[in-house]
Amino acid sequence: MIEWLSMALLLAGAFFFFAGTVGLLRFPDVYSRLHALAKADNLGLGCALFGLALQAESLAAALKLLLIWPLVMAASASIGFAIAHRAHRLGIAPWRK
Amino acid sequence: MIIRSLFLRGLLFVALWWILAEGRHDGWLLGGIAVAAATWASLKLLPPARQSIRLAGLLAFLRFFLWNSLRGGMQVAGMALRGREALQPAIIELQVSLPPGSARILLVNALGLMPGSLGVDLDGANLRLHVLDACQPIVAETRALEVLITDLFEVTS
Repeated sequence: MIEWLSMALLLAGAFFFFAGTVGLLRFPDVYSRLHALAKADNLGLGCALFGLALQAESLAAALKLLLIWPLVMAASASIGFAIAHRAHRLGIAPWRK
Repeated sequence: MIIRSLFLRGLLFVALWWILAEGRHDGWLLGGIAVAAATWASLKLLPPARQSIRLAGLLAFLRFFLWNSLRGGMQVAGMALRGREALQPAIIELQVSLPPGSARILLVNALGLMPGSLGVDLDGANLRLHVLDACQPIVAETRALEVLITDLFEVTS
């Protein structure tokens, strides 16, 4: 049961990383690419870490895996803002349809 | 006040060490030194302020944040698979009602993981966001997040 749940979460994680990368390649400007990378990869990482934590040997090892998530989340949120802010300061106009 | 922060932060670092050591007991001498150093550094770098975090507010914030970052991830994944046809980008500006400092910084950073929004500029109380789809209720969601962040920080004197 836990094996299956873990596998489903790992596959979901892989899917979101894939979708984030597709967004990076297909979206038209720096701002929308940042959306794709920050949001989809963050969700993919969360799924992958939960999937791995379910298979961990001890509670502490599982928590250690889960601890990675808030750290990466904080990093990607603030770096996303930093890049968008810099792009805006450089006068890069957002893509419009 | 300082005793309480010392105790809480120390406890947090003990838990962190336990996690990092994966529950092993043979490293506690080094762990004790690390916990003491980390607690000292934390009190030095982030002195116990008049602002503290309310537990109930933290739980409500985390619930909202996790749920919406899940929504945001799924939404942007769907848009990525549909391609740029799915996008309707715009820049929106709004006034932040939160006080300057950690509350505003938390808002701008958290917005980057919420559905469809990305902080671009924060100039005083003037917040500029890039949104993926101008039809989404970004302003209402930002206001909801602001209320939760207000409840998160408790001002004690």
